[in-house]
Formats: sequence, C-alpha cells, structure tokens
Amino acid sequence: MKKFEDYFLAFNRWSLILILGVMSVIIFTNVVLRYTTDQSIEWAEEVARHMMIWLTFLGCGPVLRYGGHIAIENLQDALPTRAAQLLRLLIALLITGFCIFAIWFGLQYMDRTQYQITPATQISFAWIYLALPLGMAMTLIHWLLIVRSYIARREFASDAHFDATASASL
Amino acid sequence: MSASLILLISACIYLGIGVPVAFALGLSTVTALVLSDAYPMLALLKETFTGVDSFPLMAVPFFILAAELMSGGSLTEVLLKFAGQFVGHKRGGLGYTNVVSLTFFSGISGSALADAAGPGSMLIRMMDKAGYGRPYAAALTASTAIVGPIIPPSIIMIIYALADDNVSVGALFMAGLIPGLLIAAAMCVVNFYISKQRNYKGDGQMPSGTEILRTTWKALPAVLLPVLILGGMRAGWFTPTEASVVAVFYALVCGKYIYRTLEWAAVPDILARSALLTASVLLIIGTSASFAWILTIEGMPQMVANWISGMNLSTWGFLIVINIFLLIFGIFIEPLPGVMVLVPILAPVAAKLGIDPIHFAMVVIYNLTLGMITPPVGGLLFVTSNVSKVPLSELTRELKPFLLAHGVVLVLLTFVPALSNWLPHVMGFK
Repeated sequence: MKKFEDYFLAFNRWSLILILGVMSVIIFTNVVLRYTTDQSIEWAEEVARHMMIWLTFLGCGPVLRYGGHIAIENLQDALPTRAAQLLRLLIALLITGFCIFAIWFGLQYMDRTQYQITPATQISFAWIYLALPLGMAMTLIHWLLIVRSYIARREFASDAHFDATASASL
Repeated sequence: MSASLILLISACIYLGIGVPVAFALGLSTVTALVLSDAYPMLALLKETFTGVDSFPLMAVPFFILAAELMSGGSLTEVLLKFAGQFVGHKRGGLGYTNVVSLTFFSGISGSALADAAGPGSMLIRMMDKAGYGRPYAAALTASTAIVGPIIPPSIIMIIYALADDNVSVGALFMAGLIPGLLIAAAMCVVNFYISKQRNYKGDGQMPSGTEILRTTWKALPAVLLPVLILGGMRAGWFTPTEASVVAVFYALVCGKYIYRTLEWAAVPDILARSALLTASVLLIIGTSASFAWILTIEGMPQMVANWISGMNLSTWGFLIVINIFLLIFGIFIEPLPGVMVLVPILAPVAAKLGIDPIHFAMVVIYNLTLGMITPPVGGLLFVTSNVSKVPLSELTRELKPFLLAHGVVLVLLTFVPALSNWLPHVMGFK
C-alpha cells in the first residue's frame, strides 16, 4: 500500500512538473520566435491552454492531500472534539460525493464532445475533457489515502515538496 | 425556490461548516441544479471548462512560477539588505526594513500569502531576535503583505480583468502602484508611533556610499522585474501572459547566472510547488465560473442594479455602501472567489453610475484583500500566525492600529479616484 502511494504520488507530481515546464517553454519559444523570425507556432496557444486544463484537475488531488484548499475552520475549532469529528465526517462525505459526481458527469461530457475537433491540433475534445474525470478519480484516491487522519485530527499529509502554509488563495 | 437562492443558501452552509472553498462552490452549484432542475447538469461542466480555458489566465501560473524561481535563490536576503541600508539605523528600523522589503518583494510576487510566508516569516524572526515583540512583528508583516496583490504583478488583478471587460490587466497593474506605496507609507507611520512609544531601537549605522551602491547593484535585477513587466506591456512588446512567461525566464537567468543560488536540481520542486498553487487557484476559478453563471443567467446583476438604483444613491453614497458591503463580505470570503462572483454583478452597476472602472476595481480589490487580515477569518492571519507561532488572539490585538491605518488609506482611495486612475491614464493604459 505504501509502495502504491509512493508511485502514485511520484506519477502525479512528475506529470504536473512536465505540464507546467512544457507550457512555459512553448509560450516562451513562441514569444522569442515572433521577435526573431516573425513567425509563431500556430498550435502554441491552444496546446498550452489545454495543458492548463490538465494541470488544474491533475493538481486537485495533491492540493487536497496537503491541505492546500482553503476552508473556513472556525466552526470546527469551536466544537468539542467528538462533534468536530462528526462534522469532518460530513465534509468528507460531501467531498467524496462531489468527486464521484464529477467523474460520472465528466465521462458523459467526454462522450458528448468526442466528435468535436480542436482547431489547431485536430484531436478529439474528449482528450482535453478527460482531464476532469481522470483528475477527480485521482483526487478521490488521494482523498481516501488521507481521509482517516483528516476526520480524526484534521491532519493532512506533509512532504518536503509542498509548503502547505503558502497554500491556496491570494 | 429559484436556483440562485438555493445556490446562495447552500454555499453559505457548505462554507460555514468548513468544506474547502473550491468544493463548496462546486457542491452548491450541483445542489442548485439538482433541487431546481432548471438547467442541464452538463452546462455546469461547460462553464467550468470555459472558466479555466483562457489564455489571459495563463499569466497566473507563470507569475507564480516566476516568483517561486526568484525567491528560490538568495534574493530575499539581497532585498532585505537593500531595504535595510536606508532605514535600518533609524528608531524602529527593522520595522521599516520589513515594510520596504515586502513592498519590493510585491514587485516580484503577485500574492499576499507568498509575501507573508516567504520573506515575511524571515523578517518576523529577525525582529523577534532584535527585541521587537513577536506579535507586533507578525501583525506588521500581515498588514504589510496586503501590498502583494496591490503592487504589480498581481494574480487577483489578472482575474479581475477577466471578470470585467472594461479594464485591462496593464491598466490595473499601473493603477496599483500609487495605492501600494500609500499603504506601505501608512504602515511606516504606524511603525513610527509604536516604535517611539515602546522605544524599539534602530540597528547600527547608515552604511557608506560605496556599500550602498554595491548592495543596490546587487538588488537591481530583482527591482527591475516589475519595470520590465510594465514597460514591456506598455510598449506593446508583449501581452500580460507573454510578460509573465518572460518573467519566468528572466527569473531563471537571474537565479542561475546572476545570484547563482538556483540549482537545476531544485527546479522540479519549484515547478511542482508552483503547479499546486496554480491548481488551487484555477480550481476555484473553474467552480466559481459555473457559480457566477447561474447568478448571471437568473438575472442577478439586473436585480442588484435595479435594487441599487431604486435607492437613489449618489456616486459617493454608492461607494460608501459598496465599501461596507465588501468589508463584511470580505471577512468571510477570500478575494479570489469574491472577485469571480461579485465583479460581474457590481462592475456594471458602478459603470452605470459613472464610476471609473479602474477606480472601482482598486476599491474592490483593496477591500477584499483587507478581508484577509480582518478577524476572525482571514487567510493572511492564519498563515502569519502559523509561520510566526503567534496565537491568533495576540496577533489580532496588535493588529488594531494597522487596521486603523488601512481604514484611512481605504477612505482616501475611495474618495480620491485620481490615486488609482491618474497613473494608468497618464501612462496611456486603458
């Protein structure tokens, strides 16, 4: 189980690193090309935009894992331990339900859009929208891996790779 | 019951019990669609995807990445030294150093939390060692970090420009400069009085001229980043998104070849961290896009517009009402979902009343950002309390004079539109 968790995490982490790295390189190359050769890569913007969609949903799981999603926790803090745990159980159920819901309708959405073709790269839109059901399925796995310590003590995972205090909002 | 009413009530419940914001917004949209059965479920997904699928929005991950790359090196220390040489020897010197270096750091990062968690936590430690009260240091840091999203680049401004077609990212970036400096000055004033009252001593002497030149030379690449971004956008060299990606590679070159503290081996970690920060922001954008869509399609903007024009408010009266509303709203809601949900509703009303869109944008952004340090709920309070290990109650007590100073600046910004829109107009931004 521990081994699976490690591989799963490494896979998710490296996919995010690659996506953001490639996005930056594509758009930067495009800017440079425009100034040096007066040409630009016609698929650059589209590909980078679609990669950003993938980045969003593949990132959802790890953010949840490290407690990076902001939440208002005053009510839990005010309640006695037992009641707070029950409240977190309810929150856990809601999040789980939302993931399942998003996977289910995400698959339907893919089905609906599979014959639409992206303008520049000419691939099926289903490949872009796959990001939602797949990302939420991975989020669900991340969530189930930490949900017990979340309910018991509102504890999230911590690794050296992500600073949970610098989380979420602006 | 109408869908938007269910939406608002369920959002309050989900947020109140502590469901993370991104999920709470998504869940309330689902709840509204299921209970009212008024719209197809797939419409929700379409709006979510459309919300995220945007080239201008791509400036968000790139600016986050640029700031992470910049601060990955020794830049924080360089900026600290640079800021400290001018003000460090005065009474309350480290307090001023804190304000000035955070202000410079805001020109690199686009978010308040990044300022507080990065250089902010370092400054709190230094001030603590030098005999300033730790709670005071934390309060100063939290209230100064507000300039992060006010001084360009700013994540929240990029998102605001997406929500209101009447303003451009460039104009908002430019508009933030004077208010940002004003806030920094106000924080310095508070520091002046408190340091006098508690006799916080300065540190050492003003360094010699050559020393100052050397430190300034070292800090120059970092200080020039916002100039490069704004100048490049103004000159029409690049769009905001392109400016942000240029900033990424500028930061890479700075860290690698000028400061020489960035290791290639550290880059994957920096990318991963930036990707996660990006995802947490974009998820909220996506879910609040479908949330705002329901409100818009149900005619909420017109309802609010009619309701407000029914009150027969003058322009100033409207601004006062908006300020009070936003301050209360901002206590509970973070700036990001706040802008996404409120701007499509409020900006048209303000425009109709003849309020300059740039001026209005600054008022909204400043108000909502202040929500991050108004107790009991505030992202910036939590982060600062977390990194400084100062309990929330002590932090809140020390925060009072700073909140007062922010209030004064807010009043100024509200009633003197030129503070926000003079500079962008002079510089030729629309």
